[in-house]
Amino acid sequence: MKFSTKSEKSNLYGYSNWRYKAILIVVVGFLAILVIGFIGLNFGTIAIQPKKILSILWHHKTDDSLGLIIWELRIPRLIMAMLTGMTLASVGGGFQGILRNPLADPYILGVSAGAALGACSALAVQYTAGLYLVPFLPVFALMGAFVAISLVYLLSRKKSHLPMSDLLLAGVAVNFFFSAIITLLLAISRRETRSMLFWLMGDLSTSSWNNIYWISLPVFLGIILLVSSSLELNAIALGEEEALHLGIQTEKLRLKIFFIGSTMIAIVVSFTGLIGFVGLVIPHIARLLVGPDHRIMLPVSALSGSIFLIICDTIARTIIAPTEVPIGVITALIGSPIFIHLLKRRNENNGY
Amino acid sequence: MNKRIFISFTILSIFFITVLSVCGKSSDGIYPITLVDDLGSEVIIEKKPGKIVSTAPSNTEIIFALGLEDKLIGRSDFCNYPPDAEKIESIGVMTPLNLEKIISLEPDLILAYGGFGTKDIPKIRELGFKVLVIEAESITEMLHSIEFIATACGIPEKGRELTTSLEERINTVISLHSDIPDIEKPKVFTGSGFETIWSPGSGTIFDELVTLAGGKNITENQQGWVPISSELVIETQPDIIIIPTGSMNPEEVTKMKNDIIKRPGWSGLPAVKNNHIFVVNEDLLYREGPRLVEGLELLYEIFHKIRKE
Repeated sequence: MKFSTKSEKSNLYGYSNWRYKAILIVVVGFLAILVIGFIGLNFGTIAIQPKKILSILWHHKTDDSLGLIIWELRIPRLIMAMLTGMTLASVGGGFQGILRNPLADPYILGVSAGAALGACSALAVQYTAGLYLVPFLPVFALMGAFVAISLVYLLSRKKSHLPMSDLLLAGVAVNFFFSAIITLLLAISRRETRSMLFWLMGDLSTSSWNNIYWISLPVFLGIILLVSSSLELNAIALGEEEALHLGIQTEKLRLKIFFIGSTMIAIVVSFTGLIGFVGLVIPHIARLLVGPDHRIMLPVSALSGSIFLIICDTIARTIIAPTEVPIGVITALIGSPIFIHLLKRRNENNGY
Repeated sequence: MNKRIFISFTILSIFFITVLSVCGKSSDGIYPITLVDDLGSEVIIEKKPGKIVSTAPSNTEIIFALGLEDKLIGRSDFCNYPPDAEKIESIGVMTPLNLEKIISLEPDLILAYGGFGTKDIPKIRELGFKVLVIEAESITEMLHSIEFIATACGIPEKGRELTTSLEERINTVISLHSDIPDIEKPKVFTGSGFETIWSPGSGTIFDELVTLAGGKNITENQQGWVPISSELVIETQPDIIIIPTGSMNPEEVTKMKNDIIKRPGWSGLPAVKNNHIFVVNEDLLYREGPRLVEGLELLYEIFHKIRKE
C-alpha cells in the first residue's frame, strides 16, 4: 500500500491508538477465556469439587479416573472448543469482509459441504466395504473440503480474476450440490444415519490432545494472516472501486482470504464436524461491540467466538446428562436471542 | 442350493470352529487372553474382569443370560431386558457414548456395540480401557457373541452350554417344517405403516429368522436393510405382514394395524384380507441376543397357524 507517512495512514483510518486497544483486547480476552474455561471445567456428568479440580490441575494427575476425566476429556475438549470458536468467528468475519455480504459465514463458500460429504461417504461405505474408517474421518473430511475449495475456485475464476459475485455463486452452487449428495446418503443408509447426523451437527466429544496438535498451528497462523489483512479489508468495506482507488488489489485480497479461510475451516471442521451459527453471528456481535475496523473487530471476533463456544459446549454436555446435545443446537438456541437483543439495542441507540 | 441346509451347515461349522478355538483352556489359567473383536481389533484381557460396562441391550441380555449380572456396573438407556437390568446405573445413549460417565465407573471391560459408527471407541481405547466391540449380523454370529463374551469373562463352558441349548431349539424349529415345500411357505412382509418402509433383505437377521421359521421373506432378493416402495409390496402379494415394534401398548398396536390397512392399494393384499397382520416385539427380532431364538419360535408359531388355516 502506498501511504506517504505513518500519521497520514492513521488519520485515514481514524484510530491512532488501535495498537494499544488491540493488545488490551487480546490480553483481556485470553484472561476471560481462562476464567470461563475454568468454570466450564467444573461442569460435567461427574461432579468434581473445584478444589479437587485445582489439585488435579496442579499435580498433573492422570493416574485415576477423575484425573483422566479432567486431563484427557474436559481439557482437550475445552481447548478444541476454543480453537474452533476462534477459527469459525474470525474466518466468518473475513468472508463477510471480502464478500461484502452480512449473510456470509465460513460455510458459504462450500468448504463445509465438501468436508461433510467426505466424512459422510466414509461413514456410508464402511459397512458395505467392511472397513473401519472412523479413525480416518478427518482425512476424508479434509479431502472433501479441498475438492470443494478447488471446485469453487475453478468455477469462479475468470482468467486471473476472482469476481465477488462469481465466488459467492460458485460457493452456493457447490454447497447445494454436495448437500444433495449428503441427503441422498442419509436417505439410503440406515445404521449410520445417527453418526452422520451427529457429524453434520458438530461434535466435540472426541477431542484429544492429538487433534489439538494438528490444528493449533494452522489456526493461529491463519488468524495472524487474516488480521494482518485488516487494512485491506477495511478498504474493501468502503466499496470495490474505492478500494481500487486506494491501491488495493481486491481480487488478490479476495483470493488470499478465500484460501486462508477455507484451509483453516477445512482443518478444523474435519475434526469437529459442522458447528453452525458461530461464524455467522459472532463477527456481527463483535462489530456491534467495537465497530467495523477489522484490526480490532477480527481479534474480538476470534476471542468472543472462543468464549461463546466454550460456554455452548459446557451447556451441550451437561444440560441433559448423561446424554449429550449436539453443540450446533445450543449455539443457535443461545446465539440468536443474544444477537437479536444486541441488534435491537443498536437500532434504538442509533435511532434507525 | 437349499438355503435351509446351507444355513444349518453354517451354524454347525461355525459352532465347531468356536468350540475348537475355545477348547483346551481351563477357565482359571486362561488369562491373559488375546481376543479379536467384531471390529477386527486385537484386545488383550489381562485378568478376569470384575467390573463390566455394557453399552448395548444385546450385550446386556447376553450378560444376564450367562449369569454375569453381578459384574455389570453400567448399561445403556436402551437396556430394558431383563427388567433387573434397569436397576443398574445407566451410562446414557449409545451414540455418542458418555465417556466421562464410563471412565468414572472404572470398568475392567467395556462391551461396546456398533463400533463402525462411533468415534468414541478409539478414544476410550487410547485412554487404556479394554473395549470389545460386539456386533452380530446373523444368528450364528449371535451365538458366537455369547461364547466370545463368556470366554472374555472366564466362563467359556457356561457360554457353550447356553449356545448348545439355543442351537437345539433352533434345530427343533427347523425340523418341524422341514417337509414343507417352498411353494407352500407363506410370503412374509416386514414393515410398518410409516412413510418410508425399511424392510430387511438378505443378510439381515430378520431375513434369516423368517427363513428358519419356514416363511418366505418378500424382500429376500434385496441386500441388507432397504427402503422399499409400496408397489413392491402390492406386486408380491404377501400372506403375512409382521410389524416389529418397540411398544406393545394395545391402542398403538391397533393403530399400527390400521395404518397398514389404510395404505392405498393394500386392502386387496391376502395378508390384509385375511387379517394376518401381526405386531411383534421388535426386541425379539432385532436385538442380537439369546432372545432371537424366542423370536424364531414365535414366528414359527405364527406361520404354522396360518398354514393350517
